[in-house]
Amino acid sequence: MKLNEAAVFKWVVIVGIAAAAVITVTLLTRPLIGSLLGLVLVIAGCIYGYRWIEQKWRELGSKDLHT
Amino acid sequence: MESATVAVSHADHHHGPPEANQSSRIDRQTLGILLFIVSEVMLFGAFFASYFFLRVVVDPPSWPPHPYELPVAVAGMNTAILVSSSFTIHYALESIRRGNRNGLKLGLVATWLLGATFLFIQINEYVHLGFSARDLSFGSIFYSLTGLHGAHVFVGLMLLSFATIRAFRGHFGPEEKDHLGVEVPGIYWHFVDIMWLVVFVTVYVL
Repeated sequence: MKLNEAAVFKWVVIVGIAAAAVITVTLLTRPLIGSLLGLVLVIAGCIYGYRWIEQKWRELGSKDLHT
Repeated sequence: MESATVAVSHADHHHGPPEANQSSRIDRQTLGILLFIVSEVMLFGAFFASYFFLRVVVDPPSWPPHPYELPVAVAGMNTAILVSSSFTIHYALESIRRGNRNGLKLGLVATWLLGATFLFIQINEYVHLGFSARDLSFGSIFYSLTGLHGAHVFVGLMLLSFATIRAFRGHFGPEEKDHLGVEVPGIYWHFVDIMWLVVFVTVYVL
């Protein structure tokens, strides 16, 4: 899979779902709980994103645009 | 004199960076927008750091400070509008990948209209908020964060305008290299959308 708009669009969906989760938890409990969930999701997102970029870069490395 | 002639001759035959300096992994337009987005994330990061500093370290008795209130419902509706625009730009790109030019035009026009609506509602919100950037640190950081994002939406709308005009003039094709003029604004638009989700949750909800 290429590093293009479609790949970035998936991140819109992921961040949208995460935002919906934080909003729901905040409305059901307190802003502090929502903030903590948001922090956990941001850290998880960073780890997942790093692995995602690493994998994409490896996949792109096996191709050559000039051939 | 001779060296000047050689330089002119060299300039005539050489356009762009030498092939050896181009990545074979990713085209330079996509790499350029991705690096630009990384720098933009850092810029937004600085603003978020200021926001959390004011909110957590300064620790005012209430947030937003009394008597200010934020129109959460209106901002929530605006969020839905902007998220929808990511789906329409994705539809536009999927259409051109399949060779559907009408789908491309429809998707681009819909995205532009949704983005313009978002910006209009935000400006309308500013007019009716009842506080300005001069009112406390809360006012300053609120207008800074949302205004920074609004400026990005404006730039995105300009990029989409160019892409839409080109689409109506018959540019772009199904081949990947033939629709980079939509792909790059599309990536930027998704970034603007993601940043708004973070701004909305941070400023309006938490």
